[in-house]
Amino acid sequence: MHRPAQVSRLALAALVAIVLAAAAVASAAFAAGDDMAAEGTLVVDTSFVVQTIDPQRMFEPTSQIAVKGMYDTLLTFRGQSTTPLPWLARSWKVSKDAKTFAFTLRRDVKFSDGTPLTSADVVFSYRRLINLKGSPSFLLAGVKVSAPNPYTVVLRSSTPNPALLRIVPNPSLGIVNSKVVKQNGGTDAVGADKTDKAEPYLLSRSAGSGPYVLKSYNNKTEIVLEANPQYWGPKPTFQTVVIRNLPAATQLLNVQRGQNEVALDLSAQQASTLRGKSGVRVITNASANLFNIDINTDPKISEVTANPHIQTAIRFALDYPSFVKLSGPGAVQAPGMIPTRFIGHLPPSARVKRNLAKARAEVRASGITDPKITMYYPSELTINGISFATLAQKTKANLDEVGIQVDLVGKPVNAFLETYAAGKHPMSQSYWGPDYPDPNDYLVFTPGGLAANRVNWGASKDPKLAALAKRAQRTVSDAKRAALFRQIGRIMNQRAPFFPLFQPAQAIVSSSNLTSAVLGVIWPLDVRAVGTR
Amino acid sequence: MVLALGITFVAFVLTQLVPGDPALSALGPVTSADPDAVAAYHAHWGMDKPLPVQYLTYLWNLLHGDLGVSQLSHQPVLTDLRHAIPATMELAFLSIAFAIVVGVPLGVVAAIRQNRASDHALRVVSLAGISMPTFWLALLALYVFFFRLEWFPGGGRLDPGTTPPGQITGLYTLDAVLHGQWSLAWDALHHLILPALVLAAFNVSLITRYTRSAILEVINDDYVRAARAKGLPERVVVIRHVLRAALPSVVTVLGLVFANVLTGAVLVENIFAWPGIGQYAYQASIELDLPAIMGVSLFVAVVYVTVNFVVDVLYGVIDPRLRLT
Repeated sequence: MHRPAQVSRLALAALVAIVLAAAAVASAAFAAGDDMAAEGTLVVDTSFVVQTIDPQRMFEPTSQIAVKGMYDTLLTFRGQSTTPLPWLARSWKVSKDAKTFAFTLRRDVKFSDGTPLTSADVVFSYRRLINLKGSPSFLLAGVKVSAPNPYTVVLRSSTPNPALLRIVPNPSLGIVNSKVVKQNGGTDAVGADKTDKAEPYLLSRSAGSGPYVLKSYNNKTEIVLEANPQYWGPKPTFQTVVIRNLPAATQLLNVQRGQNEVALDLSAQQASTLRGKSGVRVITNASANLFNIDINTDPKISEVTANPHIQTAIRFALDYPSFVKLSGPGAVQAPGMIPTRFIGHLPPSARVKRNLAKARAEVRASGITDPKITMYYPSELTINGISFATLAQKTKANLDEVGIQVDLVGKPVNAFLETYAAGKHPMSQSYWGPDYPDPNDYLVFTPGGLAANRVNWGASKDPKLAALAKRAQRTVSDAKRAALFRQIGRIMNQRAPFFPLFQPAQAIVSSSNLTSAVLGVIWPLDVRAVGTR
Repeated sequence: MVLALGITFVAFVLTQLVPGDPALSALGPVTSADPDAVAAYHAHWGMDKPLPVQYLTYLWNLLHGDLGVSQLSHQPVLTDLRHAIPATMELAFLSIAFAIVVGVPLGVVAAIRQNRASDHALRVVSLAGISMPTFWLALLALYVFFFRLEWFPGGGRLDPGTTPPGQITGLYTLDAVLHGQWSLAWDALHHLILPALVLAAFNVSLITRYTRSAILEVINDDYVRAARAKGLPERVVVIRHVLRAALPSVVTVLGLVFANVLTGAVLVENIFAWPGIGQYAYQASIELDLPAIMGVSLFVAVVYVTVNFVVDVLYGVIDPRLRLT
């Protein structure tokens, strides 16, 4: 009986030794401290959505943070404002027909290698963007670029394009050093989609004039930027910026531990748990993203959704305030398809209100007994902390109350997009994020627009509204545009096959010593603007 | 070779069967509405060619050591794997080592103290270890050891902004040591410990249970009784006779342990922001990055074949009787 005890004592002694060793390691770790946010380093925690940091190829949120830090644009936005401000261009003129835009460049701008930035670099960058036929190419669709002299750039649009001034600040229109990019296989010629070979270079070195240069890039772990000693503008506060890939749950812990740290992907609910805690600053507000429901107007796809009475019934059956609550503090009901931050958005009084009696009456008036609809949604997609699956279930429950039965079909994003783009969904739980902060980006929802075509709502189905949309698209004056877009919004709230639900709450949590750590409208964070108290 | 060929074929067919066009999510909702842009994307990635041509092209390139270019990272898959595989291997090695060093002694203790309090306690703990979801354990470990106790960092392979050591093996701890960068080696080890322990939890429990049952099968055999009758110390009896006889069963479970590490790595790597093969496979799958999916499938298959081969060889080393068969 004593022998087993001896062996077990030995084994236990070994285990104790291991535990002690682990404890020693752990305590040494504690003693060593955690200098994750050393003086002069800004740490940005985000769940990476990044394919590339080649400015003219990229269009993802994480890429925009990095590219915005390394490359300058002709114009810019400050904070959450959507008013274009001078940057590389010190002034600009717009023709009365909003087809010609002439920008006068600053003369004191140099790239990180010391080369002066001229109009040739702007022309190269923009033509490269167009001819690469990548994700951001549509931003300059129908635009021709020229440079009458070294410090003037002219953009000519084939159609009136008053949105162009709000497109130009997009980081995808960041200016690259044409000499360096050409030396490394870049081209702006037609056919660049096949012949341009500069991307590998731009993944390892930057070629911009911004306050930061690329130190290292790994699209799975972190992107490190270092201050550009040649920078022509005000020096950034931080010598180093580390953009780090972390899931939201880990961001929640990290931002409480770190200094000079920002967490970008916490849901409003997660962020609200940090309110009142010392050392962190929490900002929540309504995002410019828009959650909505689309229904197909083609009777071949669904006799039910094509019925105008059913469309109206759905509009009044949805419980909008409960959708807003789902997103948490800061979210708002979308007054129309244009989010509240942009020109031409509707006032809160224009929001659709739930009216179950009216919805039930419309179902009866439709002449369809026991209407059934199949609704598709992207099954694994979560945006601003909100799962599309949850939204779809809520929609189903709302419509069930007025006698419309909804069958839910969840699909992976790629599969969802394929059938959605082909206009095959009778009903979709959908979403739109702004490509640029201008109401023209929302013309896709008017008859004959990109999103409208996906629900088979062509211009012929509502020619008056289509004509009004065309007029709004070409109007130059912001005041007149705002009035026209409001008029369009009111009509759409009555008869469009889109039901705007809500603008979700978005949150940014940062160390309390940081200033200007705010979520931008287009780029998630402008690292060059972040400072300390 | 035939197996590898079969794997490439199955992986290729399966990736083609998945509905959805990668161009749609890669190009975004507006650009993907432009047929020219979609056609350019398909042409760029070779997706405009007939499927047999695509497959044969893949095989031809594979024979030349080219696994294609990832649609997600825009870098050669081989380059991506060259970074991801060592990250997972570093995690796997420490995790498996920890699982063996802790699991085997615990199994021995449980077996020789069968039906006593310590045995019951170990069985309950090991059952809990097997039942606990890895992602939950990872979050709990982060909360306790990173957030509360501040013993370990919160993720990644190194502190933010730290330049990794020059790549020799790709294992940061080892590479830093080989370069004589001791503080960097410590930094890498510091980041490695917590995810490795989390990843080991399931396997510690598994090995404990397998070792316990393997020892119980032989502990009352005649030769063990004979050894005791000869007056050998119990320590010698257990280590030289009992444990050695039980080892083939334990070695068998090592194949399973490796499989568990690779599957568990998907979750652990995600939570600890560990840039390994698990994260790479996950991202490739949800984004339909076909070249990356093919590359990962090939790698995992080769690893499984190799591990099973090593396990078979180990049988012979441990038990000479098996060499004849």
